[in-house]
Amino acid sequence: MAEAVQVQLKKGVLELCVLALLSRGDAYGYEIASRLAQGIEMGEGTVYPLMRRMQADGLVATYLVESTAGPSRKYYRLTDAGRASFESQKTEWAAFSAAVNDILEGAR
Amino acid sequence: MTRGDFIARLRVGLGGLAPTQIEELVADYETHFAEGLAAGRSEAEVAAALGDPDRLARVLRAEAGLRRWEAERNPSAAANAVWAVLGLGAIDVLVLLPILLWIGGTLLGLFIAAAALVIVGAVLMVAGPVVVYGAPVAALVLAGLGVMALGTSLGALCTIISIGCTNALVWYGRFHMRLLKPALEV
Repeated sequence: MAEAVQVQLKKGVLELCVLALLSRGDAYGYEIASRLAQGIEMGEGTVYPLMRRMQADGLVATYLVESTAGPSRKYYRLTDAGRASFESQKTEWAAFSAAVNDILEGAR
Repeated sequence: MTRGDFIARLRVGLGGLAPTQIEELVADYETHFAEGLAAGRSEAEVAAALGDPDRLARVLRAEAGLRRWEAERNPSAAANAVWAVLGLGAIDVLVLLPILLWIGGTLLGLFIAAAALVIVGAVLMVAGPVVVYGAPVAALVLAGLGVMALGTSLGALCTIISIGCTNALVWYGRFHMRLLKPALEV
């Protein structure tokens, strides 16, 4: 059970992190993958199925940009639905983590 | 692992998906390699950071299967989704397998029974008045209709139960396996 809950937590947080990254500006796959891999412990490969799912859910949209060197890049941007989802998830996360921190501080 | 090895194993793992879909998914990783090499990393480094291609392929295939089941609720999509979740190969699937086989077998039996009832009803209605001399025609036709209606409702009930079971399995897959959409949505 504990492992299942951890899997659920990580999955939820991963999406929130991508939403946060994109809220600060559009980004391409490699950029998102390397930023996330630095922050959270995860395989860079996981980003691509996640981006596809978020696109299917209407949270992000893509556009191609020709690159001077190398292949053209697929950029992701937040849709209005994605922005709204980010705001609500961010509020929830802040409330949740504040409550957990309160308990952790109190336990010391 | 080299770029070629990684892509080849990914392709093998994605086998069974539509060719256009495979190309799209593989293109993401080809681009990732190109970007990584341009940033000065080696093929082996990029491959290691991406993770196990076999596991990635299983997740990608399961996600595609589940998305298809969410979009089109038909028997083939259901079979695909069930297969995809089983393909993730978690240990608890082994525990689930006998139960799944039992439920699947029972449902199949009930479906066949429902089809048989519909056929028997139709035969009773059409051939009954000809074969059974002296029997009131109206009664036979009504009896035939009744049996057919019974068969149809049994079939409908089985369909509802099958859809419910597939949804439950998909939920289970989302909860326990490393699929990307959380099962617990707020």
